[in-house]
Amino acid sequence: MTVYETDIPGVGRKFELETGGGSRIVVLLHHDGRREVFRRPSPDADSEKLFDLDARNARQLGSILTGTNFETVDVAELEVPLGEAIIEWWEVGEDSTLAGESLGDAHVRRETGVSVIAVQRGEMTIPNPDSTYRIQPGDVLVTMGTREQQAAFEAMV
Amino acid sequence: MATSLLLEAGIALTVLAAAGALAWRFGQSVIPAYLLVGIAVGPYAPSVGGVSLTLVEPSEFIELFAELGVVFLLFFIGVEFSVAKLLAEPRRIVAAGGVDLVVNVALGFGLGLAFGFSPLESVFLAAIVYPSSSAVITKSLIDLGWIADPESEGVLGVLVVEDVVMAIYLAILAALAIGGPLADALLPLGESLLFLLLFALLATVGSGLVERAFDTRSNELFLLRVVGLTALLAGFALTTGVSEAVAAFFVGAAISESDLKPRLESVVAPARDLFAAVFFFAIGLGTDPTAVAGVAGLLAVGVVVTGAGKLATGYAGGRAYELNQRRSLRMALALVTRGEFSLVVAALAAATAGVSGVVSTFAVGYVLVMSILGTVLMGASGRIEGLVGVGGREGSG
Repeated sequence: MTVYETDIPGVGRKFELETGGGSRIVVLLHHDGRREVFRRPSPDADSEKLFDLDARNARQLGSILTGTNFETVDVAELEVPLGEAIIEWWEVGEDSTLAGESLGDAHVRRETGVSVIAVQRGEMTIPNPDSTYRIQPGDVLVTMGTREQQAAFEAMV
Repeated sequence: MATSLLLEAGIALTVLAAAGALAWRFGQSVIPAYLLVGIAVGPYAPSVGGVSLTLVEPSEFIELFAELGVVFLLFFIGVEFSVAKLLAEPRRIVAAGGVDLVVNVALGFGLGLAFGFSPLESVFLAAIVYPSSSAVITKSLIDLGWIADPESEGVLGVLVVEDVVMAIYLAILAALAIGGPLADALLPLGESLLFLLLFALLATVGSGLVERAFDTRSNELFLLRVVGLTALLAGFALTTGVSEAVAAFFVGAAISESDLKPRLESVVAPARDLFAAVFFFAIGLGTDPTAVAGVAGLLAVGVVVTGAGKLATGYAGGRAYELNQRRSLRMALALVTRGEFSLVVAALAAATAGVSGVVSTFAVGYVLVMSILGTVLMGASGRIEGLVGVGGREGSG
């Protein structure tokens, strides 16, 4: 599919897209954000104006058309994909019992139930660290687990 | 009669607002409305029962705003000027724009000579009848929905060529305006071309510089910078004998490809509209309606000849754009409209020694007729298409 883009001096930009059978959709983007949408059924026909939207409505319509329109959701619902589990970030302090230990030796999962899914060390991110990974003060551990498990882990850190 | 500058400004802007509202109501362009209201309340206003209707005399306020009007009309023509558009389809655009230029300038020049004007005056007349009105035509294209159809490509293409031609044409006219007789004008012409070259360089090489000078987050500061710097550069140009309008065009062209464009349209365009309204009003103020009636013969011939000229070149341009007969006819009808450029030339003509006042008087009458005629023709395109037998969807080509 071809999209033709042209500048309309003093008005804005015009986009034409072929929609099959010689018909085209024409979108006129005004500098003030207004959008006019036309349809030209065949090359020799006159364009018919379909509708006229302000910038906000146009964005909304656009996201519906592309299938990416999500309403803002309640934070609680964000946990749904993981079941009861939530993801938390913990910074390892100098005096933490974990400092200097490897993940395996600390028995993190056995003791608390959370999984360490990533570690952030300075600029670096280590995804899915294995049991030999040695925790250092200043590391940020990304853990996944239920609220209770996270609370148990918090005590450990 | 106005007793203070503030009262005078208030009266002028209020009658402009009323005239503009009336024009909207009748689906007409505001330009003829501003001209007419200028004539109606200016020093040449008619008397009713011995009482003069004159409300406004040309004053410093009018003069300054009118000058800024010319500068910002041309600044925005520069901003909206698209080199990319000019280079996108050079063959079509040069064919359509070239025919438009050669035929219509020749008709204007010939008209001048035929009516006994000097060669200098005829050069001005040609510049008055040649350019179509981007402002009025673009608005009509949107109002009628033609903007979504291929004929708008042809119309806008021709207008882009006219813009760049008129920038050069105005520079030459301004040099002639200072130089007086043609031979003596060669030196200032060379000088002003040199300055033009500098401004053109600014527009191309220095566009990043201009962009940075204008760029600021605050809309308030943005407006001040654009208006200030543009007026400063245009004023500087004027002191060196270069057309301030052309300088403003190049300043605008310098930022035509930048990201500032949408912001200029939203923040600075309202200032342009205000100044330009006063510019059209000022032209009206300086126009004696009885003098316009005095050039009725010239006006009638001019309208018929140059109207037919534009129809022919517009149609030929449409064919160059490979439009069918119906769309080519529409392109022809659209380009009949004349407006702001003709009046900028008229203002320059009025200020030029050796050019009879008849030239600018003709321009006012001419724009009044052609701006209304063009809008009416576009609105009646359906009936006209039927009359000449290219109506309906079977239009071949």
